[in-house]
Amino acid sequence: MSLDSRALEERIMESQDLHSDSMHETRTTLDEMVELGHEDRASEIDPHEGREVAQEASNLVGRGVMGGGALAAAGFGAALVGLMSSPAFASEAGDVQMLQTSAAIENLAVATYTTALTLPFIGGATALPVVKAFVTTTMKQHMDHAKAFNAACTALGGKAQNEPDPALLTVVNNAKPTLTGPAPVVALAIQLETGAAETYVAYTSALASLNARKVTASIMGIEAQHVAVLRAVQALVAAGHPELITLPPPLDKLPAAAGNVGFPDPFFKTDMARPATEGAVK
Amino acid sequence: MSMFRRGSNHAAAINISEAELTAMTADLDEMHQASLPALRESVDEWKQLHSDLRSKGAAVVQTVANRRQFLLGTGVLLGGAALAACGSSSKSASTSTTAAGGGATTAPGSNGGKLTGDLAIVVLAAGLENLAVGTYDAGIKAATAGKLGAVPPAVVTFATTAQAHHKAHAAAWNAVLTGAGKSAVTGVDMTVKTAVVDPTFAKVTDVAGLAKLALTLEDVAAATYLNGIGLIQTKAGIETAATIQPVELQHSAILNFVLGQYPVPNAFGQTTGARVPTDAIG
Repeated sequence: MSLDSRALEERIMESQDLHSDSMHETRTTLDEMVELGHEDRASEIDPHEGREVAQEASNLVGRGVMGGGALAAAGFGAALVGLMSSPAFASEAGDVQMLQTSAAIENLAVATYTTALTLPFIGGATALPVVKAFVTTTMKQHMDHAKAFNAACTALGGKAQNEPDPALLTVVNNAKPTLTGPAPVVALAIQLETGAAETYVAYTSALASLNARKVTASIMGIEAQHVAVLRAVQALVAAGHPELITLPPPLDKLPAAAGNVGFPDPFFKTDMARPATEGAVK
Repeated sequence: MSMFRRGSNHAAAINISEAELTAMTADLDEMHQASLPALRESVDEWKQLHSDLRSKGAAVVQTVANRRQFLLGTGVLLGGAALAACGSSSKSASTSTTAAGGGATTAPGSNGGKLTGDLAIVVLAAGLENLAVGTYDAGIKAATAGKLGAVPPAVVTFATTAQAHHKAHAAAWNAVLTGAGKSAVTGVDMTVKTAVVDPTFAKVTDVAGLAKLALTLEDVAAATYLNGIGLIQTKAGIETAATIQPVELQHSAILNFVLGQYPVPNAFGQTTGARVPTDAIG
């Protein structure tokens, strides 16, 4: 039988109406989902969980669309999968927060070492030359770290963090009146460096961005080295032998503990890791 | 969506029976209808998952420190299972792009087969740790035999502690391998041993010489881990490497100090000298 195009077009239009109604309903659901995603970007996100959600969402949607074999929904579903699996949707916000907090920790370290160098027994005439050189170099290294974290952050679309970590700033401010000699200064520096190193160790496996992970990993070990040196210095000061803090050191005069006091644990801890949101730009 | 343009005046009659057209349209409609519930179900499932995670509250996900139990507790054990998936793949993982030279991430398994992906890096790490243990052991024996002259107490404590750390690191990596159903690595990185350790150790006559060799091994290990952190695919594997790399750099800092060199010479961790899974392990 021969069918004219008018009759066929009517049937096609009916089909399109049906399709349009269905798509409208699905888009409403999608809009809700997108809104949820935007809300999460604006609030605190755990990056690891976020990655899992993105992966699960991707799997779910992929399974649903592809499993259904839908012609009508294929393009729509592909867009949905792309949206769900996009790192921007679930992971970048967490990465940015971690990088901003890392930069905030570095900013605080720079400020603290800068202040320490104004003390006569750290940066003045009575300071041990090796200690003064260490503090000066370490401060510069922290400046480099802050720049690196902020560069990684802006590369992800985040804002650079140029302020110090507010929680740690309180710790430093509270400690300032007690900084009357090398020992409390070294103790404070150990606290800050340990916190920084442990934070970066924890962040390294939590970051979704490969570049952010590499940057963070390249810095964590340097802070750990600062800790090791400071702990050795602390031990010699506590033992009443600051004169042994020289480069090169008088090896035969060093106490046995000086050989291993710098690295007490075979695996670096994360007890003192800072929360990802602590130094995030508000 | 339609192949037919509305309002077209050039539509030609189509030779097709009404029954055929009805059947085709019904098929199309059935496919369309079948896809939508699956899509809606997937979206609803995603929304539920999303909602569940949000309702867990910030307490669960706010701080990275909360994950420490995983990091240091079950991480290694879980890592075995997680890494197994990557290591069993026949696909080759990404290749090294560092100055150390790139190579496919394959390594000889100690059970005879070639391991790939993350497990290839684990084998390499275990081989390097075993080499460090053996080198420190040889150094301690040489010192005990009086072949290195006077050995300061601080150097003794350094060597014994560092060796213990490397034993713990090797055990951690081997736990990953055995957890993945593979054999533990009892051999060493023969590539490094043959090219570096054996010829250097043969010339060691004092503590400084031994310290230089140890420094080389520590820096190689740290570089390998830092490089590996950019290659490893599983979170557990990254965590393990991230908790070890800073400790190797701490060893390095103290060795630099012992040798009269600045203990933290670089602002960022280096990947130069990183070993690759193509090294011979045996």
